[in-house]
Amino acid sequence: MNATLLIDAIIFGNLLVLLSIGLTLTYITLKIPNFAHGDFATVGIYVAYYFLAFHKISPYFTLPAAFLISGCVALLSYLLVFKPLNSRGTSIVGLMVASIAIEVALRSILHIYADSLTNVYKIISRGFIFRDFGLQLSEAVFIPGLLIVSSALTIALVITLYILLTKTKFGIAMRAAIENPDLAEVLGVDVNKVYAVSWFLAGGLAGLAGALVPFRMPANPEIGWMLLLRVFSSSILGGLSNIYGAMLGGYIVGFAEVIGIQVLANPPFNLSTAYRPAIPFAILIATLLLMPEGITSKIKLEKIATKLRGVRKQ
Amino acid sequence: MILGITDPLRFAIDVSAFFSIYLMLSISLNLEYGYTGISNFGKVLFFAGGAFTAGALATRTIMSLYSSEIGSFGPYCTANVVYATEVSKLLAENPGLSITLFITLLLLGGAIGGILGYLASYPAIRLKESYLGITLLASGELLRIFARNYEPLICGSLGVSVPDLFAWLPVGLKEIIQVGIMLFIAFMAWYFIEKLVRSPFGRLIRALRDNELAAEAFGKNVVKIRMQVLVIGSAIAGMAGVLYAFYTKSIHADDFMPLKTFIVWVMVILGGAGNNIGAAIGVLIYVLTERLIMQYKYMISAPFDVNYLSYIIFGIVLIIILLYRPQGILPEKPSKTIDFEKVIKKLKQERNPS
Repeated sequence: MNATLLIDAIIFGNLLVLLSIGLTLTYITLKIPNFAHGDFATVGIYVAYYFLAFHKISPYFTLPAAFLISGCVALLSYLLVFKPLNSRGTSIVGLMVASIAIEVALRSILHIYADSLTNVYKIISRGFIFRDFGLQLSEAVFIPGLLIVSSALTIALVITLYILLTKTKFGIAMRAAIENPDLAEVLGVDVNKVYAVSWFLAGGLAGLAGALVPFRMPANPEIGWMLLLRVFSSSILGGLSNIYGAMLGGYIVGFAEVIGIQVLANPPFNLSTAYRPAIPFAILIATLLLMPEGITSKIKLEKIATKLRGVRKQ
Repeated sequence: MILGITDPLRFAIDVSAFFSIYLMLSISLNLEYGYTGISNFGKVLFFAGGAFTAGALATRTIMSLYSSEIGSFGPYCTANVVYATEVSKLLAENPGLSITLFITLLLLGGAIGGILGYLASYPAIRLKESYLGITLLASGELLRIFARNYEPLICGSLGVSVPDLFAWLPVGLKEIIQVGIMLFIAFMAWYFIEKLVRSPFGRLIRALRDNELAAEAFGKNVVKIRMQVLVIGSAIAGMAGVLYAFYTKSIHADDFMPLKTFIVWVMVILGGAGNNIGAAIGVLIYVLTERLIMQYKYMISAPFDVNYLSYIIFGIVLIIILLYRPQGILPEKPSKTIDFEKVIKKLKQERNPS
């Protein structure tokens, strides 16, 4: 396998991991698939693009801004829409419809923003890409900066989440609130605050991933929606309620898509690369029909852990 | 000129046409979601199924039947507009053929919709609402991506022209009659669903929605009933797709974005889930608003496409309805039954005929 393809797959996997961890975070709070998640990422793209176009700051340095603004959009959508709906006892279908409504509204706002950029400031607002730095290792191997940045971000994120969820008081309260909201509330955990933080984190992570997307593919206001299917597929493959499962799912879908289409586009299949979105879809359907609990249901972490402990004792 | 509308007749025809198409979609969703509780987030899949059937077959059928009279203008896809015009000319002189083709394709579109519904029901009856929503939505997107890239279907990203099946009618009357037929079919579908939900089957699907476990305990086959509902709803959506193809006369894969599904959901939730008159009112409100925005669009000067503004408004309206009036404009009414006292009277009469 050539190195460029492998690098592509790792980068795509990293982006999907950032997105699907966020989606999983929102799923475990309200038990709804948030259709607006892709658009939180698109918000991140346009935040990064704003700083690049108007202030000439590299998107790598404006990642915190993308994190903050996308996070705030997600937080607002929770506070203004999902929380009131949830407290009124709206059904899951109602919440899903609301999330589609947010998706449509957000996407339209981004379209309006893009149109205004083009018509008022005469800036290209659709189909732009970010220029990346990189290291030319040898003639065939080129390490793009995105590989380093996205991998570092993903690793840092996983470590931070692990520490947050298992070592801090807030993280333990968060897990309790997700596991059993009523019991947690009785024990004095502010469930609403926990949910709000989850939504903020989810949006922020989507924003981070979004800000990195234009390094790889031309961006437009629809791209978040296009990515959403892959995100769903990786989250569902990971079990939809397990953050580490989402991570695994993200890499599997990312690799399957990048390498799979490369295999299918060449003989003997000769398929058009435009069928690329069919790969995550196939994974999604296969997961739902074969192991709806996700891939992590097949891996028994406890068993592995006890085995490891057993080995250590001897 | 009324209200600044330059051509009121054209406007009325347009509103009626889209009203009838969306009415079929919204009542079929009402049957699935409002009455049975199936969260069909892939309505556009079945709608596209019907539209693609009409788009792919209308011109080709006539071409294969009358290949000598039409002649050759090169490969089908690159010249499909020319072929469609030639076929329209041929159909203009042949009313019988036009009507046969219309009815055949309408039924075929319904059948394709029904088959897609049957396929979709495989996951639909086994998954929870949230997973089902994702699956159906993704299936719709997959069909769109497939249609955009697979040329033999609807000529890929080029799109396909649909011949005019009403060209044999006089010019002034043509569109009025076409829209009349569309409205008639839509109301027939509406009437069918209204009758269906008032039948014992209607009470059964409502029981299923309200308490699946109880329905199952009474020996009802939940899986089979859900499948039947999805097939009926999808067949109606498929027919709506055929009507859409014949009205707009051109089919592009990108017309079938998930946004269409969202619009149908707005109509049903706005009008009132579980109330067919409500669903019709939701359609009327949406279609009127949308067409009026299209009419007055040129009067608003903004540095962006005004359509996006209307999507934002519909999104916000939907959320406000979900928050403050979740039952919609016309809430669901208890099912109509014969007056209890009348039944007692009748029974007494039967017992003592004197």
